[in-house]
Amino acid sequence: MFNLPTTNIGGQELFVLEFGDIVNYFSPYTAVLFVFALLFTALAIVSRPERQVDIAFGGDAYYAKEVDPNLLRFQRFMAIACGLATLGAMVSGDVFNFTLFASMVGITNIGIVAAYRNRHVLNAAFQYGIVAMLATVPLFGGAAIVLASTGTLSMWELFTDGVAVPLIAKAFLVLGVMGEGMAPFYVAKAEITRAQGAPFILMVHVSSLLLFLRVIEIVISM
Amino acid sequence: MKANQSIITRISATISRVENLTGLYALLVVAVTVIGLVTLPFITYHDDQLYPKTLDPDSTLDPYDRGGVPFGTTLVKAQYPENSPFVGYVTAYLTPLSQWLADTTHHMGTTIVAHPGGIIDEILYNTRGLDTVVETSILFVAFAIASYLFRRDA
Repeated sequence: MFNLPTTNIGGQELFVLEFGDIVNYFSPYTAVLFVFALLFTALAIVSRPERQVDIAFGGDAYYAKEVDPNLLRFQRFMAIACGLATLGAMVSGDVFNFTLFASMVGITNIGIVAAYRNRHVLNAAFQYGIVAMLATVPLFGGAAIVLASTGTLSMWELFTDGVAVPLIAKAFLVLGVMGEGMAPFYVAKAEITRAQGAPFILMVHVSSLLLFLRVIEIVISM
Repeated sequence: MKANQSIITRISATISRVENLTGLYALLVVAVTVIGLVTLPFITYHDDQLYPKTLDPDSTLDPYDRGGVPFGTTLVKAQYPENSPFVGYVTAYLTPLSQWLADTTHHMGTTIVAHPGGIIDEILYNTRGLDTVVETSILFVAFAIASYLFRRDA
């Protein structure tokens, strides 16, 4: 019943998952991204947090940083939620559904970094939060322009040759995902990675990278 | 910053500050929006919309009234009708409380007071049900973050 309109970008379809009008698809490309996100979600579930040690130069002294169990529990929850949102975004076959998952990734990323008490980390998280909130405007604006100008949101229709998606809608989508996932803005991430808690912080990077790869596939296919 | 630095050094010094991140992103958004405004006349509205909307200001269920008879065959457009075999079945169904609110007040029947989501909308709960699930998940995650940050000892 469902045949991918463009097989030269994502490859042949492997599996189709139907949720009413939202038809998710697994092509080799999206399936690889999905497996990658699944792997890191599993890592976030099973791994224990890193224990950072600061070494004082010129002496034998070192400071072992304590891991707060409450913080750990909350961050693990947020990392798993972020992983689930990334999983959904990777295989989503609907533009609006994809933007929803992207904004959920943005919010969970804020949750992961905002739980720290380090002033530098919180400062970066604040800037990051403003950008993520701002990014919802182009993100959902892009989806709205797609719906208004083509009359549909399903990628199965949008990827066909007959449907022309305005360039500005694509630009808005990419801009929105950039803001939500912070893929190109590693400035804030450099500050964020000072924070302890390696496996959960990694989820911020993995989710934004995967989101960006996915939105590029969508924009090229449309 | 020294005056004789190269332009690349100055740009990289500016964008390496976290405090400039929001301004930088806002600049990007403004630039793309300006391009969007310039190309706006070339974008045409597609008349054959998948999710059509008609407004009837006189209806007590005004913005959400899709018409139809509950448990009948109401016509609801769907992209893939074969995926939603029962689409149109419960559209326009109101619980007795919501029906009473809709009969006696003008807009209360559509609100969360009536019951979650007001009238049962098949586009929200059937054909695009996954969207509703994700939306509530976003709300849940946002409340979880807010409650954690609020309740942790200062």
